[in-house]
Order: sequence, then structure tokens, then C-alpha cells
Amino acid sequence: MATASAGRGVSFLRNIATHRVFLAGVHTSAPLEVNKNWERRNLKLFPPQLPDEPRRPAEVHHCRRQIKYSKDKMWYLAKMIRGLSIDQAITQLEFNDKKGAKIVKEVLLEAQEMAVRNHNVEYKSNLYIAESHSGKGKYLKRIRYHGKGMFGIMDKVYCHYFVKLVEGSPPRVEPRSGLDQAQDYLLSLRSRTVRHSL
Amino acid sequence: MRDRAAQNLNRVQIQDVPELLPGSAKMALPLRRTLVALQRATCNSLKSGEGWADVRQPLPLVVPVRGKKRYFIPPAVELKERTNRVNPEARAQAAGLVYRQQYMERAINISCTAGIFDPYVPPEGDARHSTLSKEGLKQRTEQLRQSAASQLAIRKIKEHDPLFNTRTFPELAQDIFIQAHMALTQFNKEKLHSLVTERCYPEMTRGNRYKTIRWRFVESLEPPKVVHARCPDMVSKTNLYGQVTLRMHSRQTLALYDRFGRLLLGSEEVPKDVLEYLVIERHVVNPYGRWRLHGKIVPAWAPPKDPILKTVLIPGPTLKSGEEFDTLNYEVPKPQSVQWSK
Repeated sequence: MATASAGRGVSFLRNIATHRVFLAGVHTSAPLEVNKNWERRNLKLFPPQLPDEPRRPAEVHHCRRQIKYSKDKMWYLAKMIRGLSIDQAITQLEFNDKKGAKIVKEVLLEAQEMAVRNHNVEYKSNLYIAESHSGKGKYLKRIRYHGKGMFGIMDKVYCHYFVKLVEGSPPRVEPRSGLDQAQDYLLSLRSRTVRHSL
Repeated sequence: MRDRAAQNLNRVQIQDVPELLPGSAKMALPLRRTLVALQRATCNSLKSGEGWADVRQPLPLVVPVRGKKRYFIPPAVELKERTNRVNPEARAQAAGLVYRQQYMERAINISCTAGIFDPYVPPEGDARHSTLSKEGLKQRTEQLRQSAASQLAIRKIKEHDPLFNTRTFPELAQDIFIQAHMALTQFNKEKLHSLVTERCYPEMTRGNRYKTIRWRFVESLEPPKVVHARCPDMVSKTNLYGQVTLRMHSRQTLALYDRFGRLLLGSEEVPKDVLEYLVIERHVVNPYGRWRLHGKIVPAWAPPKDPILKTVLIPGPTLKSGEEFDTLNYEVPKPQSVQWSK
């Protein structure tokens, strides 16, 4: 990023700054752009349905940003509640000992409230968790002092948590047995083909 | 390509580090670290395409050679040093700069009144079949001459706007009404603002942003009529606003769909007979003022609306400790039938 500024020294310093090289006396900061795409999914307007079409289920997208928790630890909770009905999910989280469980439970309750109030969901129990995942937030960096003048950069971790609630009863997922998986594997092996062969 | 060249340069220069300083083949670790960091800095600057010449010329920054220097200071530590300084405002005052007093003023144009002044009370049994006093009803609805205040108001309006006529006005007003609702279905904000006053706009559009409205004016059952007129003034005596109430009996279809395209209310095929009392307003003193829809009057004897296609929870009665909620004999409280304007 070439900057046309007066003084070669200043431009040299600025080049260093943009490429984030370790040098004393230079303050660099991460960009402040945030992604609000998950919240924007709630603003999508669908065209009116014809009377013979099946009723479209209501969807609510909700998230919480910059939670002081690790994204890997949050993943376990997100994976646990995928596919459950909302009441079941809230019960499971209430009796879970993790720190993130309390936060995820709050997010689910907020989302349920939003669905009933703003998104025309009739029964608040008639929701299930269609998607639930965690993402990395913006980390803060600190110094961790080691012996012999060595140091490490300590990350203060933050994460986001996203959830999508859909109206209706949770879809039944048929459990795949070992035999089914083995058959799928055989099928994939048999459907292999060599392209551009003679 | 440029990156690859720079990477090659990087690799060469790190290996050449001991050779750059003759007679120091065995260097201390911090020194090596310093030089490595420097090389990386210079090579990264080369990536931008500028500064091939900069590498050769003397560098203006301090190269740490002695001691254990920390190269990376996280932003938090840096910020702690800076917050101790004097804020720029105090510095400017000390320097002698005088800041002029900032007036937080903003001019507001009031182009509509806040409500309906002296609302029209529609006679009970209007547009209903009643064997008792049919003739009486007709007399009441047709004679506008009865109320003197309305006549006075109409005269005041005619002073400022000579084209106003109680015979031609209803057609105009109905046209405004139809156009306003068509703009609402398309959600054309500019057109809606020109056809509807600022007081009426939020009432029409609140909560409708993520909904689809399908409205159709089928036909008018009776010709619209001016039933009431008032000319209130705001702030000063000469600042007049004309409010005219219009009675309209028509057939309309309304269908409301929510965000997901599901029917909330009404239907598109079945038309309904609607008796409405519209209030149209204009800022008569303003030569560029226009007649705009200001609100509707809902009489106390209006029939209840159709129920929505949804189950809603209503709060139950407050119970004392020990009492049980009697589901069978509980009556849902009905709202009072009062005339209100919307």
C-alpha cells in the first residue's frame, strides 16, 4: 500500500505498519469491519404464497457477538442442541455445567421471544433448532511473559454464536447403521470412473 | 511474481546476515533477531513495488542493538501510555483559542395538526337497515346545513382556497384515498408522503415494512359526501388548518401477508362493504398546501373486525395465593365500545 506522503521515513514506517511487522514504537490495530450478514437474513421478505402451496415455515435468525468464551468450547454446545426442539434444548442447557450453556440458553430465549413477537410464530414451543454454530470473534492480544526474556502473545479469545429457529416439529433423522455406511462406501467405490481414458 | 522475488530476496538476506558484518561470524542471539526483523521489514516494503532505493539509503529509525528489546508491544500497553496526556480541548483553551458557543437549533415545519379537532360523531344506525327511523336518518345525513360550525369552517376554507366546493370535493378526496392505498401496497414512500399527512403516515405504515399488502378498491356503493368540517388553528390565530370529514360507503378487498408470504388477514377474492369516515386535512394558509388524508373515525357502534388467523395468549386474571384458575367459567373481557380515530 504505497502512500504518497512527504518524507521517505514516514512512508517507510507506514509501509511497515500496514504489513504488521514487529517493530518498537509503532501502534497497529486490526480493522473494525464487522459482518452483519446473519442479522440481515431476518430482513428478507418472501412473496405471498398461493393458496395451494404448502405453508412456508417461519424462520428466525439470531446471534450474539463477542462472547468471552472459546469458539472450540462453544462448538460442543452448538453441536449438542442441533436438531432438538427448543424446549428440549433449553432444558438440556439449563442443566449443563459449562459457562457457555448459560449464554446459549439466553440467546435461545431471546430468539423465541423475537419469533413470537416480530415474526408471526403462533406457538412458542413449535420451534426447532435448524442451524447452530459458533464463530471466531475479534481477539485482544496481550503479552505472556516467559523466562529468559522470552515472551509469547496471549490471545484473549472471543466468539460469536449463531442460531436459526424454524417453526414446526423437529425433523426425524433416521440413524444410519454401520451396514448402511458400508453399503454407501461400496457404492462410492463402484461408481468411480477414469476420465479422459482410452 | 513480485512476491516470489521478494521471498527469494528474504531467504538470501537471512543467510547472508553473518556475512554483512565482517568479523562477527558468531553473533549474540538478540542481535541476530534484530537484524532478521529488519530484513523482514525491508523485504515487506519491497513487495509494494516502491523503495528499492530505500534499502540502500540510511534508515531514519533506531535499530536496537544492545539489551533485550521487546519488538512487539500489544495495543493495550500502547494505549495506557497515551491516556495520560492532556485532552486537546484543554490545550486549545490554554493556547488562547476561543470556541464560539454552538447553538443547537433546528427549524421545524409543522404541516399538519396532531389530531382531529372536534371529531364528527356519526349517527348510530348509519348505513344499516332499520325500520324505525329511516326518514330521520336520511334527514340527518343529508342536511349539512344543520351545524353552523361546519358552515363557518367551510367559509374560512373558501376564503383562502376559492376553488373549494362541497360538491366537487368528495370526488377528489376519494381519488386521494385510492391513490394513497395503492402507494401503500407498493410502499412508495415519496408518493405516500404527498398524499397522506405526517400524523397519518406512521399509523398506516407501522409494522408493515416486512409485510405484503394487497388492496383493491372494487366500487363505490354510495357517492361520497362531506359531513363535517372544522378549521382549527395552531400556535397563532391566523395559522389555519382545514379538516373536512367525508363519509364513504364502498366495496374493497384486503389481504395481508406476513414476512413469509402466509395469509394473516382477509382474502383477495371476497370483497367487503365498508363504511368509512375519512378526515382530509390541508394547511390552507400555505399556498402550496395540498389536501391529504389525515385519519379515519371509527364509530362506537362499528361492527367488530374479523378475527386474525392466529392464536394469541392474553394475560389472565391476577389470582391470590390458594385460588385456582377456573377455565370453564372464565369470560374473556371485551373492550369498551368507544368512538376513536385512527
